[in-house]
Amino acid sequence: MAALRSTSRLVASSKPLFRPAIFARGYATVDSVAQDPNPSQTPRMKTFQVYRWNPDQPTEKPKMQSYALDLNKTGPMMLDALIRIKNEMDPTLTFRRSCREGICGSCAMNIDGVNTLACLCRIPTDTAKDSRIYPLPHTYVVKDLVPDLTQFYKQYKSIKPYLQRDTKTEDGLEYRQSPEDRKKLDGLYECILCACCSTSCPSYWWNSEEYLGPAILLQSYRWLADSRDEKTAERKHALDNSMSVYRCHTILNCSRTCPKGLNPARAIAEIKKMMAAH
Amino acid sequence: MLFRTPNILHSNTLTMASIARYSPFFRQSCLSAFRSPLATKNVSQVVAFHASAKKQILPPLPQTIQGTVNDPAPVPKPHPSEGSYHWTFERAISAGLVPLTIAPFAAGSLNPVMDAVLCAFIVLHSHIGFQAAIIDYFPARRVPKTSTFCNWLLRAFTLTTAVGLYEFETNDVGVTEAIKRVWKA
Repeated sequence: MAALRSTSRLVASSKPLFRPAIFARGYATVDSVAQDPNPSQTPRMKTFQVYRWNPDQPTEKPKMQSYALDLNKTGPMMLDALIRIKNEMDPTLTFRRSCREGICGSCAMNIDGVNTLACLCRIPTDTAKDSRIYPLPHTYVVKDLVPDLTQFYKQYKSIKPYLQRDTKTEDGLEYRQSPEDRKKLDGLYECILCACCSTSCPSYWWNSEEYLGPAILLQSYRWLADSRDEKTAERKHALDNSMSVYRCHTILNCSRTCPKGLNPARAIAEIKKMMAAH
Repeated sequence: MLFRTPNILHSNTLTMASIARYSPFFRQSCLSAFRSPLATKNVSQVVAFHASAKKQILPPLPQTIQGTVNDPAPVPKPHPSEGSYHWTFERAISAGLVPLTIAPFAAGSLNPVMDAVLCAFIVLHSHIGFQAAIIDYFPARRVPKTSTFCNWLLRAFTLTTAVGLYEFETNDVGVTEAIKRVWKA
């Protein structure tokens, strides 16, 4: 776990500002209480309430379905619980998952009111309280916990997320970058586009058709900040309207919710500063 | 037919919009909201709220996202006076308000020019703030008529406020002096 934690050192310093202790979920949620090596034989039953909606029965309203699991027989993470429910209790439960280690971004969902990755979210050990699992807020639901992220990807494509250059280097080899310039991309390149931040942003809820949202703006800044990119002016020009960037009202839900511990709000602030200066 | 997920996150940022959204009389024009008693909805009604519900302020969305993941979202036309210039101006006004608010009380002197500048900044600052709220909650792409109406209503209110403050400054004691008289610690 120590090795896992160390990867978040780049951004960890800014976290506690935005994240009260109640919502303390860092890069990975680590239980401060040492695990009992010999868990008692009494089952620790915890109820999980999961959002269910089936497109094959469009006339039926979405509902919450309860599943009770024994935490002694379940893995530590929310994703373990979901997989166990699907394997052993209800094979119709639908959700996305892939890497189970917070690098693919598939299992983004709303767990106990916070958007996060199910694979990085520990199951709260308090068995008296139900855990409620919803799909990402304000997205169209494809089925159960699977949201439709088409708009999110369309917007990602619209910011041209690739290196744009007209000139070659003098020696015709790779485009080099100083360590200082490379450092500017730290805290930006780690984004896995799980859409947790964008779907936690009220401004994005109301105006997702035009406002790009924190995740896409963080990616936008990743290319604006890249010293090798030569189309900075064009990129800034494309953002220079009332909707794309300036629907951000620094609500900071994005930085609070990011399961990777990144700070999209800071990237948006940097974009605003760059735009003001040009 | 697809459903939107319920608003369960961050309830305090949501309160204003959800009041508006659940109000059934709010569909055609924002004026009708004043006639509607904001009836307390029972829980089951709120739970049963979906995109298919008949009570929405704004017209329902298309219920699906147009195009595929490989079609880039349209990039709006650049408009610096609504973008970067607007933001810089807004921040300058906001930053300027801080010393302007403190200065007359700190210095203990009442300067009519300072008072006039303070009033102008307050009017501009509130105008920009309300304008942002209109853009957020009555987007022109969904409710063009309501959006235009709200914008003109805001302009009317801003003008009325400006005229009122001008009258107050020229024919009465002025804002700073008024606050000084009312403010009894």
